[in-house]
Amino acid sequence: MSYSLNEMEATAKRAARGAGYSWGLAEEAGKATRWLCAHGLEGGAALARLLEHGLANSADHAPQTLGGDWSGGGMLCPLTAGALVSDLAGWLQTGPIHMRDVAVPIALLPFAASAARRLRSCACVECDGLVAVTDGSDLSVPDGFPETAQYVTVRLGGSPASGCTRKTRARPDPASWAVLNRFAHRTYAPATEESRLLGAGAGLSDND
Amino acid sequence: MTAQGTHIARRDPADVMRLKRLGSLHQCRLSFMRILTRRMAREGWRFSRPVFDIDGNGVGRAVYTAQGPERAYSLVAFAHDLPAELRSDRVIAEAWDATFALFDGVPTAADVDRLSQNVPLQEAGRVSESELSLSRANRSVRLWAHVVDALAEGRQPDPEQIDSVGYLMRTTAVYGSGKFGAADREVIADRDELQAPFQAEMLSVYLTRLFVRDLVQHMADAKGGDRAARLDPAIARRLGIGNSTGLGMAPFIVNHPVLFNNWIMAREEAIARVRGCQSASAAEIDTFLRILKRSAVSVERWRSQHPIQIEKLAELKADMTALSAHVGGDALRGDAPWDRLVRWSEMALSEEGQELVASLILEPYPDLVDGLSCCMADGNPGAFTIDGAMPVGEVRSLIRNSFDWALTMDWDAPENCARAWYVSEEKLEPRMGERFEEPIVDYEQPLAPARDAASAHKALEAYSDGQPVAEFLLRHPEHRHTIRRAQMNRVAPYGEIHDNTISASVLPIDMLRAKLSFFGATHFDPRSDRWVRICMYAGAPYPEDLTPDTADLWVYPEVAG
Repeated sequence: MSYSLNEMEATAKRAARGAGYSWGLAEEAGKATRWLCAHGLEGGAALARLLEHGLANSADHAPQTLGGDWSGGGMLCPLTAGALVSDLAGWLQTGPIHMRDVAVPIALLPFAASAARRLRSCACVECDGLVAVTDGSDLSVPDGFPETAQYVTVRLGGSPASGCTRKTRARPDPASWAVLNRFAHRTYAPATEESRLLGAGAGLSDND
Repeated sequence: MTAQGTHIARRDPADVMRLKRLGSLHQCRLSFMRILTRRMAREGWRFSRPVFDIDGNGVGRAVYTAQGPERAYSLVAFAHDLPAELRSDRVIAEAWDATFALFDGVPTAADVDRLSQNVPLQEAGRVSESELSLSRANRSVRLWAHVVDALAEGRQPDPEQIDSVGYLMRTTAVYGSGKFGAADREVIADRDELQAPFQAEMLSVYLTRLFVRDLVQHMADAKGGDRAARLDPAIARRLGIGNSTGLGMAPFIVNHPVLFNNWIMAREEAIARVRGCQSASAAEIDTFLRILKRSAVSVERWRSQHPIQIEKLAELKADMTALSAHVGGDALRGDAPWDRLVRWSEMALSEEGQELVASLILEPYPDLVDGLSCCMADGNPGAFTIDGAMPVGEVRSLIRNSFDWALTMDWDAPENCARAWYVSEEKLEPRMGERFEEPIVDYEQPLAPARDAASAHKALEAYSDGQPVAEFLLRHPEHRHTIRRAQMNRVAPYGEIHDNTISASVLPIDMLRAKLSFFGATHFDPRSDRWVRICMYAGAPYPEDLTPDTADLWVYPEVAG
């Protein structure tokens, strides 16, 4: 089934929130998933796998410090680390950012793209020897990006193949879509008779 | 030629963005319906009805096509026979009197068949990238029966009854921007005719009004046969399309701070430009006075049963009297007449009246105002990106720009956080509940920017002014959405509501009205503190009468003489 990118973004955001990410990081998850889908990648599947790793609720999965290589007490979350790459895009002008033990590293690409757009430059994400390149809009990415990467480097440089085809729809596999919706459902309050009557402000008759 | 005078600054967001004022906004030249009708007339759009296949019970389908210079758009309408007990304006309804999709182009019979399997189901169906909006409407039971019966008996409906309701059908949701499988905004945003906000949705409602006029005539003809009368075009023109809007629209203006800023800022810029005029010509004054008179008729026809709106309407009517008396003298002659008028209104009128004046002074100045319509879309996706290198001191100052008033509030006091916004699992309906009485806190949506700003500001106290905010965000991801909003303030000074959206006394209808006023809605009629009915396109020309002369000022009723 095909979904609009807006539906994919909204579902991804809710799913990330349902998995325990802060609202701000859930917003990043929504935009990042949308970007991956718009570039023909399985963004929904990547987020579904990431959420099942359960990295949201512990500071162990964020960089322990911004100096030196970024690593966590456990696997590094690509949403947390990726958002920092985008936030600190300017740092890339002074040198690469290195990370260790990153889960679902393909989820770093939208953040590298954001940094590239801000710097009007190209950015590379190298994962255990595989290199993806983006100028913020176009993207070249090799097949076989690993499920987890031992060593990731984000740096300026390279140039993506031009004319990368943009997708206007997301086509998540049903299993991943179900995972995202299962997490998203955690953000919905159970319906009660009271909320049905009061919560949306039903008052006067609307059958007139 | 208008004499340009001194520079007048746009009004302060601290005044404009108060909920009470946002809840008093009125349509203006920059309203989305008027932007659309002006364009369609200017470009000579052509309209046709390739399909009208509806039986004597009012069940069937119809297609209405609007052909612009480059592209066509078609409303695909399905009419149903709805038992009265199923009629509800709530999102949780599952059946409607009529359902619609706006198709991108001219649909084939196969497209219409596909849509017939999905559009009547609304949220439970799926549409595709070929569709730009999905919507539904319910009849005004009272007026529908009256008009069908009158016409079937060979007479015209009673104008009093027409005015007391104002529409034959009201839409209860118009979904666009990728909802339920429809095309994303990005797919259409580069088209000239859809660049301004909500143009596809406004077109769908314009065509819906046409369909409703045809349908009521069809039903009268079916009932009355040869005796049936044709609906008087003057009466038809007074009929708008109603809209029933619930709480779901309120979060929109909080969730889209840059977009909402652009609407407010365009109107504020227009107001500032007109206030900056050194003098007004006789023709400009005449235009203003004429439209003021017509606006007074609209205010007279505005009815509400809600105590808050009844009081506001009484004030507005008194304001109209005072305003007419004030401008009847020499108030508009001499230097800076519009600036003086606005300053006078701030002393003499209620907020309803002040905002009406602010909208009305734009009318004589299409050349100063109308071009701003191209600045109202959100074309700045980069505003989402956080600048983590920004020093904490600067972030603090950005937070204070919008929320200085909120930093010293006691956010634990029950009256200051009595409400919580949440999404129900029931059709994902947005709702607002009582934080201390219902089990909803775990599901709270981030729709209290003021409280969150105060909380982030407090957490930032542990950081020095010179530290990059990225260090704060690494340790405090829970404040990330707040820091993003604060940085958006640099490009969106009108992006934040300067009020408490979770207080015990918050009125969500204020947020609904702010948004609906930019659609161009009139006759706001709150049905509770979180549900409002409005009228759209009342007075607008139908396609056969749409010309540059009729395309703009239709929102103001014609007056004799």
